[in-house]
Amino acid sequence: MHDPETLIRKGLPKGHFKDLAVRLMLGITTYCIVIIAALLFFKIIKDGVPVLFTAKAPFVDLGFLLDKNETLHVFDDAQGLRHQLPASQYSDYIKSHGEAPIYNEQTFSYSGGGIIGPIVGTALLTIGSMVLALFFGVSAAIYLSEYAKQSPFIHAVRIAILNLAGIPSIVFGLFGFSVFVLAVPVITSTPSDRSLLTLPLFIGDAVLSFQGWNSSLIAGCATLACMILPVIITASEESLRAVPQGFRDASLAMGATRWQTIRTCVLPFSMPGILTSSLLAITRVAGETAPIMFTAAVAAKDDLPWQALANPFDLLSSQVQALPYHIYTLAARIPASEYTQRAQYGSVFVFLILVATLSFGSMLLRAKLRAKLKW
Amino acid sequence: MVNHLANIADPLPPAIRIDRLCFAYQAKPALHGVTLDLPARQVTAFIGPSGCGKTTLLRCFNRINDRIPGARITGGSIHIHGIDINRPDIDLQELRRRVGMVFQKYNPFPKSIYENVVYSLRLSGIRKRSQLDESAEAALRSAALWDEVKDRLHSSAMGLSGGQQQRLCIARAIVSQPDILLMDEPCAALDPIATLKIEELLHQLKEQFTIVIVTHNMAQATRCADHTAFMYLGKLVEFGPTLQIFQTPHDPQTLAYVTGSFG
Amino acid sequence: MSKTASAPHRFNKSGLSLEKAIKFFFASNAGLTIVILVLIIVFLLKEGLGFFPGYRRELEIYRIAGLEFVDLSRQNLTTHEQLASVLNRAYYAEINGKCARELKRSREAAALFNAFSDQTTATRDLILNNLTAGIDPDSEMLATLRKNHAANVQKALAKLPPTPHLTLTERTALIDSLRSRDVTAKDDPPLVATLTEQYAAAQQVQAKPLAGLRATIDAFEATGSDLSTLVSEMTTAVTATKESLQNADILEKDRKTLLAAAARAKDPAERARLMADAQASLAEQADIDGPMQSLMLRKPTCIEAHNALRQTSSEILTQLPTALSQPEAERLLRAARKAAPVFLTTLGQAPGQISQWRHDTRVPLSAAIRSFLTGKDWVTGGEWQDFYGILPLLVGSLMISMVALCLAIPAGVGAAIYINQFASGHEQSLVKPVIEFIQAIPSVVLGFIGILVFGSVLRDLSQLDSLAWVPGFPIEERLNIFTAGCLLALMSIPTIFSLAEDALNNVPSAYSEASDALGASRIQTSFRVVIPAAFSGILAAVLLGLGRVIGETMVVLLVAGNRIKIPDFSSGIGAFLQPSHTLTGIIAQELGEVPLGSVHYRALFVVGILLFTIVLGINATAHKFVSRTQH
Repeated sequence: MHDPETLIRKGLPKGHFKDLAVRLMLGITTYCIVIIAALLFFKIIKDGVPVLFTAKAPFVDLGFLLDKNETLHVFDDAQGLRHQLPASQYSDYIKSHGEAPIYNEQTFSYSGGGIIGPIVGTALLTIGSMVLALFFGVSAAIYLSEYAKQSPFIHAVRIAILNLAGIPSIVFGLFGFSVFVLAVPVITSTPSDRSLLTLPLFIGDAVLSFQGWNSSLIAGCATLACMILPVIITASEESLRAVPQGFRDASLAMGATRWQTIRTCVLPFSMPGILTSSLLAITRVAGETAPIMFTAAVAAKDDLPWQALANPFDLLSSQVQALPYHIYTLAARIPASEYTQRAQYGSVFVFLILVATLSFGSMLLRAKLRAKLKW
Repeated sequence: MVNHLANIADPLPPAIRIDRLCFAYQAKPALHGVTLDLPARQVTAFIGPSGCGKTTLLRCFNRINDRIPGARITGGSIHIHGIDINRPDIDLQELRRRVGMVFQKYNPFPKSIYENVVYSLRLSGIRKRSQLDESAEAALRSAALWDEVKDRLHSSAMGLSGGQQQRLCIARAIVSQPDILLMDEPCAALDPIATLKIEELLHQLKEQFTIVIVTHNMAQATRCADHTAFMYLGKLVEFGPTLQIFQTPHDPQTLAYVTGSFG
Repeated sequence: MSKTASAPHRFNKSGLSLEKAIKFFFASNAGLTIVILVLIIVFLLKEGLGFFPGYRRELEIYRIAGLEFVDLSRQNLTTHEQLASVLNRAYYAEINGKCARELKRSREAAALFNAFSDQTTATRDLILNNLTAGIDPDSEMLATLRKNHAANVQKALAKLPPTPHLTLTERTALIDSLRSRDVTAKDDPPLVATLTEQYAAAQQVQAKPLAGLRATIDAFEATGSDLSTLVSEMTTAVTATKESLQNADILEKDRKTLLAAAARAKDPAERARLMADAQASLAEQADIDGPMQSLMLRKPTCIEAHNALRQTSSEILTQLPTALSQPEAERLLRAARKAAPVFLTTLGQAPGQISQWRHDTRVPLSAAIRSFLTGKDWVTGGEWQDFYGILPLLVGSLMISMVALCLAIPAGVGAAIYINQFASGHEQSLVKPVIEFIQAIPSVVLGFIGILVFGSVLRDLSQLDSLAWVPGFPIEERLNIFTAGCLLALMSIPTIFSLAEDALNNVPSAYSEASDALGASRIQTSFRVVIPAAFSGILAAVLLGLGRVIGETMVVLLVAGNRIKIPDFSSGIGAFLQPSHTLTGIIAQELGEVPLGSVHYRALFVVGILLFTIVLGINATAHKFVSRTQH
């Protein structure tokens, strides 16, 4: 028998310092990430808050949120006062001051006015693509979780989902450009020269021309929907599978058909889960730039998407501004100066608030859902 | 409470001395004042219905319960060879090396058979190849596994059968020469043949170790254990030589349990 | 249940065709994913595969028109110029290194003065404009302007850049001179002027002992003039040939379109008209033989020029000093010494290449493929010749990924281990949401931060004297591989973290329990049992992180600096501080500007195919690891 006294340790435990060092190192690494993230948010908030919030009621600079985007003119008047005016106010000023000379005039593209155009554009793109992706994605997920048996078809679908999920967003941009912008069929009486194929429809002189939708809202929505589809399918299937098998068995045992079972006993219980995970997908859709660069986005546009339209359907076939693309333009295409800071940091701040709200919302919802739905 | 000590004539001092031990998982008490002396170099079986606290008690002996957040001893003490194992200055690693444990579900590491066996030797910093080889062979022989695996020591332990994996776990637990071996329903996940082998092994092992075994299987307790403790609802109901517990129990609850009236 | 004949009938499925339709509807939606994947592949290939024949034709024209012949000489000329430039840089590095103190002092004073003038020019110009316009100097308006100016001066003086190499008295004197500076003053402040003079004087003093080197460099620069003249003469000639060849190609294409339209036209009159048009546009065969013959006549002159250049260069290059005193100058000199023999060897081979060159050697398709895969130049939209070589982009992408992974693997995996193995519940609930939230930050926002904040911070940091020992510091470009890599690391940390954490979480607790029961300490259990068991899951996490990094577009487009050039590895680790371009960035940058269907357009699709293949390969490997970790 060993000496029982060796069970009592003298001084610190063996390997105490090694243990401490390892923990400390890993802990420092972890908190470094947290600190870097915090610094990043702090920087954006510090520079963004003064743009968006004001000291006077209503405390929010509604002009920045609700005005259209314009070119900024910066100049000094004869008294040495510096003016910063967006293009529309600038022309008013010139008109009203007539002869008075101005000095040191500089112009900054995209830096004046507000960002209502990009905000609305991003909202339209997000809504459109989520409607498409949810419709097709949830249907596909229902098939995978409720109907599918082991078959080569299912295997192929799973491989396709796995691969689609990994494709870089810029490749989706290429795909959207070559398919939705240049190749999908449209019904028109005047097919374009570059149409891949025209099929007569025998109704008047209308033909089905494979010439694409041009760079437009609908092309952007379709591209984004394709990109987000695997995420929606995977998340929806998970939610559907989380519904206990017993629910289905009970319903089927009472003589309901498969579809009745799905409609009454599966979908209602999985809907909260599906919607929660789609909220996270929205964050991704709203933040993507590469797929919409060539399919939908435009840097400058005078009207809001629904203004100056001949008919409502033109909304779908018109280009839109988008917040991420606007930020890209502000960051890459114009020189940084003190006059562009308002537009730059303001847009980023608004965008980040948007994304943060969505992702916090989904985190909270998910936590709530987990607490509530326990089978 | 009956004084069990009077019933036991034992030349060796008790290996584990449990005194009015109370234990709780967060707010939920699991043991209520268990007092018990476990004889050295013998096999003691804990029996009782599910949730009666026998596994909890077993897991107190090597303080593996510390892993569970909120689990704590609320009263009483455990002495192993006269040392209170809940003193703050106990060397926990040393304690666990001296009190080996085998779990209900065999759980070898996803490493080779050899690496599994010498794991605890490597932990204590032994690097010499010859010493490792020697100890591994001895442990595997003690666990009656050597002949079956000597040709494939370096293949993965996951390729062994369930019974072999459990014996590997026993070899892994005894390689560092512990004093006490705790076994938490070691045969629960095994088929009858493998169970038989483990039980034979127990008879050999008790020459060297003090063995505490938790079991659901009363027949197993009668076959292997020298002493048996019957627990019910977190209390020790009766403790004594196995034959006595099964044939002439003092307590009506024990009688009801061993005759199969409940549990 | 009754045994009547109606029983089987009631369970007959004929009434369930709606069910079948619904099932078919859902199945077709699932099939949509396959359709999309196939469409992606088909359209990438459709646009991409046309690239190689088109590129082959471009390379053929390059040869037939004689551009390739001119490039044989031009390459050597470029190398010569580069070598001369390296020598010149070494010369100036030596001088500036020796008068580093004067240089820094003069630069700092000038920077301070510039910061001041930037702030005050606007109001100063107002006053000057008014004065020259003949306004009464004592008028009220001018007084206001002067007041504004004075306020502006105060504002400017309040935030001046630091001047660590000026003494406090000098700085105070300089600031005083700025404060009392007259509006009309045009000269530099006295201190700035003095320091500039001192610097110039120091330069002159230091240049004296280096006069020999200067002469050598000048002589070396002059040797290239003969070849240079020759090349520029030939260039004019071959450009014209190339243009006529390209025009012929375009006409030919038009003619085919017209013929196709004619074949489709229903109206005979229109068909005839189209045919006639097609006939009319029948390209006359571009005359290539004539110019080619005159080009071939230049072969002897060309060879001669090369031989002469080689002769003189080898003589001059032996006169280079053996060592220079300043480390930077020494490095450059060493680089030049290393490059010189290579240059001379290439020159020696040139006559052979020139005499053997033939304009009518066929250009096979494999040449186009080889030129794409191994080409070191991605030159587009140039007047001379477009090259589509993938290497600079691939190298850029890989180097950025390397930086990103070097940072993200330790951070992401380390954090996952810490959070999974050591952290308390409170820490977990603090850190996990933060990292999850980093994942939600759109990449364009990170790019924005990189371009406006991080790049400048890094550059300022690199200019600190105390950090001068870091290789590559001070950096020249604030947007470079390292900046992009850092931001991509931040992007991929959440991916790596959450997947690695999952992998650690999936290790059965029975393993760690067994390890604890065998007397292992906390870190022994973690590092000997849990982490090895989760290893392939962690590896998969890293690979998926890599896939994300390589496929990321916006950050690299904004932050990588977008210079299409293979970084100069002679500066060692400093190569990571140079700007670069990437596979993803080039598509995003150029797709919007190229004509549809052009070779350049198709080249971008081939880059897309390459990207697609790389990322899918990485992901497939990762999923293989994931499926291996099922415990």
